[in-house]
Amino acid sequence: MSIDETEISNKREVIQFALDAGTIQLSNGAEIWRVEDTISHICRAYKVEDVDAFILSNAIFITGSNEKESIFAKVKHIPMAGVHLGIITDVNDLSREIASGMWTVEEAKVKLEEIRNQPPNNLIYRGVSAGFASGCFGYILGSSVTEAIVTMVIAFVVFLLSVYFEKKQLSKMVKNILGGAFIALMALAATYIPLIGTISVNQIIIGGIMPLIPGVAFVNSIRDLANSDFLSGTVRMLDTIMVFMYIAIGASTVLSLYHAVLGGAL
Amino acid sequence: MNLIINLLCAFAGTLGFSILFNVHKKFHLYCGLAGMSGWLGYLLFIERTSPAVATFFGALVVVLMSRAFSVWKRCPITVFLISGIFPLIPGSSIYYTAYYLVTNSLEMAAVKGVESIKIAFAIVAGIVFVVSVPRKWFNLKYWRRGAKDLK
Repeated sequence: MSIDETEISNKREVIQFALDAGTIQLSNGAEIWRVEDTISHICRAYKVEDVDAFILSNAIFITGSNEKESIFAKVKHIPMAGVHLGIITDVNDLSREIASGMWTVEEAKVKLEEIRNQPPNNLIYRGVSAGFASGCFGYILGSSVTEAIVTMVIAFVVFLLSVYFEKKQLSKMVKNILGGAFIALMALAATYIPLIGTISVNQIIIGGIMPLIPGVAFVNSIRDLANSDFLSGTVRMLDTIMVFMYIAIGASTVLSLYHAVLGGAL
Repeated sequence: MNLIINLLCAFAGTLGFSILFNVHKKFHLYCGLAGMSGWLGYLLFIERTSPAVATFFGALVVVLMSRAFSVWKRCPITVFLISGIFPLIPGSSIYYTAYYLVTNSLEMAAVKGVESIKIAFAIVAGIVFVVSVPRKWFNLKYWRRGAKDLK
């Protein structure tokens, strides 16, 4: 291989690595500019100058060239994998270390693979904390202590249910409508528990929907819009609004059916 | 007393959500602090002003804390911001909007709908406001140097 060719293949390797790093961040819930930042930092650190990346909320377009010709072009579709903020932090640290010249490309690749294979927290642990957190939020949003405790149980079950739906690859719409409906059903059922006193179904639902609320998409859409990434910001904002509507429609449909069928002792 | 329980609940709730989003263990405490101080900001203003204004100040505090933590701990601001902003998200207003829509009380639905849009915009304003502050302002060294320059 001539010197020219090895140089080109080295550059290709760097750009591919930068693309991988960006992909991991984007699929775990990073903002657009952070992905741009990671890619440009890595390329600059390895002295690959002519790289252009265009990033959408679910895709990366990346091209690279040297003085004579274009040497790299790729379009990559990136579906959202689930939120793992730990991975975003680690990739961020890695790109900072690369920028300060700590790793060669090969070492960095191994590091990135380690980061990618980090498991999320244990499912039950996450479920319990989601339930507990929803109960707490329910309480500060005006529930009584009894309602907060009921909320904790419901939110725990709803979280597990939503993970199950995701595993079965149900669409977002079905998942959230069923989730909302399930919360309302459980809240109504809770009013029939003996000796529980009067509890407000609405308060329980408000706390119970917390694990389904698309907080990450909401915050990211605002940050994208603030950074003038209007395309991705709008897409994510629309996503947030739709998910909110699905949850609310699911829950309130069940409530109004209950009203109509049983006369509603709300 | 009630205030303290409220703040503790905000702290625990934010911490719970940071576990849900797989934040590293070493940042859990700061996530909780960001959420708690945001809720404190909200509570301070809610009695005298409207929910939207109170949410604006709450969001402002959350983002300020998150940025300070992210500069201090050298990690992405998202880590603190996402869980910290959770108690302020207008979940209840949006739920009531849909509830009144389905139960056919359109007037109440409009009231709640406008309220949730206002709250959402308040959060947007709070975040945009602080995000556009230059990064070096969050570094203590910058201010120390500034004080020396003045002398």
